[in-house]
Amino acid sequence: MSVATHGVAAKHVSFERDRGVYRITVTDGLAHVVVKVSKESDRQSQVLSIFRRLADAHIPVFLVKLHRAAVTFAIEAEKIPDVENCISDLNLGLVSSPDVALISIIASSMRELSGILVSIADSLQRAGVRLIAVGDSHNSVQCLVDGSRIDDAVCELKETFGLNDEIDGIEQVRTTTGNE
Amino acid sequence: MNNIIVQKFGGTSVATDANRRLAAGKIIAAKKSGKQPVVVVSAIGRRGEPYATDTLADEMRKIDPAFPPHPHEMDIMMACGEIISTAIMASTLQSMGHPAIALSGGQAGIITDSEHGNARILAIHPHAIRNALELGLIPVVCGFQGVTKFNDENSSGSLTTLGRGGSDTTASALGAALNATAVEIYTDVDGVKTADPDMVANARTLEVCTYEEVAEIAHQGAKVVHPRAAEIAMDYGIPLWVKSTFTDHPGTEIVAESRAPQSLYQRITGVTHTGKLAFIRLEIENEEHKPAVEQEVYRLMARAGVNTFLTSFSPAALSFAVNRENYPTARDLLDGMVVPVATDPNNRPATYLYIFKFSEGLDLAYRNQRPLLLSLEESGLVHVVDVPGTAHENCTVVSVIANKHRLVPGVMIAVFEALTTAGIEILQMADSDMSISALVPENDASRAVRLLHDTFGLGSPAVP
Repeated sequence: MSVATHGVAAKHVSFERDRGVYRITVTDGLAHVVVKVSKESDRQSQVLSIFRRLADAHIPVFLVKLHRAAVTFAIEAEKIPDVENCISDLNLGLVSSPDVALISIIASSMRELSGILVSIADSLQRAGVRLIAVGDSHNSVQCLVDGSRIDDAVCELKETFGLNDEIDGIEQVRTTTGNE
Repeated sequence: MNNIIVQKFGGTSVATDANRRLAAGKIIAAKKSGKQPVVVVSAIGRRGEPYATDTLADEMRKIDPAFPPHPHEMDIMMACGEIISTAIMASTLQSMGHPAIALSGGQAGIITDSEHGNARILAIHPHAIRNALELGLIPVVCGFQGVTKFNDENSSGSLTTLGRGGSDTTASALGAALNATAVEIYTDVDGVKTADPDMVANARTLEVCTYEEVAEIAHQGAKVVHPRAAEIAMDYGIPLWVKSTFTDHPGTEIVAESRAPQSLYQRITGVTHTGKLAFIRLEIENEEHKPAVEQEVYRLMARAGVNTFLTSFSPAALSFAVNRENYPTARDLLDGMVVPVATDPNNRPATYLYIFKFSEGLDLAYRNQRPLLLSLEESGLVHVVDVPGTAHENCTVVSVIANKHRLVPGVMIAVFEALTTAGIEILQMADSDMSISALVPENDASRAVRLLHDTFGLGSPAVP
């Protein structure tokens, strides 16, 4: 089964940005962290303690997701030991996955584009890349994926959205965290 | 030297004769200061008032509620609001001794694609505007509308409307086409506020904002300037102002980050709220099969034109939000949906059938479908797995606009702590480079906005 959403690419128009994907960026050198929390009433205070300690240790986190029995987030990979240190005495299970990368698929009017997520998920599946976490905003879908497979993932996404480095205004930018 | 300034007046600013004279005063003041004003107006008033866009659209829908009007005719009807408003505003200026000429979108040279009701501007040929300026006239242009090209294969020379934020978009695009020195968006508030002033009494007017901030604020629910207009101004580097028709407050200047004072580089700009959403959670316990099942959910939503937001997956669940108007569609589609997942053909069972089940009362299709799978299950060839679904039907997103917050640890904790300490349930969180958002129950939205506004000290100092 497939859906006719393959390639919601932006066209070039004057004045207005057309609806569609016009850029893919990559941020590598990241890690994904899963911290297990209680399902019971103290879950909230546990999450609060985790965030408090991360903030006190000046560790920026992003792609935060709240789950029933866990809180997950992304960090710069080099901060893994700091994260482990600052929440170790909370005695919560912590699993960190280093070498992940964030692919941002950037579009105008992203929220008018139904089917964008299925296009992305299909592309990553074709590339054999597992989606670790996903975030969305009005102009982007951010996908956290295995960093070692980033080239395959980007190649497939560029194919899906008809992006080409040689077209003016469309680019793939590789950055590292803190350098955006 | 080009001294063109585009001034756009919204529905409230042109709603009454008194308001139109105040608006005209701003236009005349600009002209007297040596500028060449090009005016863009919206339709008069809001839904319920006779010439408001929504009122005109409602008239079309009333013809036969079971037969939606054709978008071509709907656009012609909706465009009437701006045509009326333009003629009245030009005549108001003339009556005040300032020659003016009303121009429709097509007369102003605004060419769009043929997506009726939500068209995009393809080109602007502003000859008529330039001719009017050379003759000393004030051009008053219809916002929100354009025409298709005369050789458009779908809709030759048809009148089109630009969709939400259309008049702001017209103003910004004209500013770009005319190489204007500034675009001024006039409204009924003093400028870009730190929060909705109806919700937060001490919301402050910002003196300066970056394009990125104002686009984010607009996308996250503030109705000061439409993000499409902010994007055009950003792309063409046109100074944009948000001002009040009704006061002499200097308003908010919107500039490129490179031109902004350093204090804007990392700051909390404001708190917004947006969306009537429903939050759906699906329990999919088999981690190995979960990606395949999730993908079918995405496909189903895409096929039905249902956009999903705030997507999150844990090892045992998938959750996402949908616009509340789409929630019945999403729920009905999911209820009873069966997703087959094939495994090793040498194993028994070789296929798993995942069937979605909402809570009792919302599971009509599930209750009809499930018994039909029993015989298959009994054959041992397939294994049927229930996917329980739950929904929180009334939620909304509250956002803190915080430029580069990812470089400033502590913003996330401040949001989480303020809300949870006040007993506001956070159903999910989301963050981008420019904002941190929390999905909260809708009846807590006002309290959440006020709390966050206070937490980040965004309000005006108390007046003694």
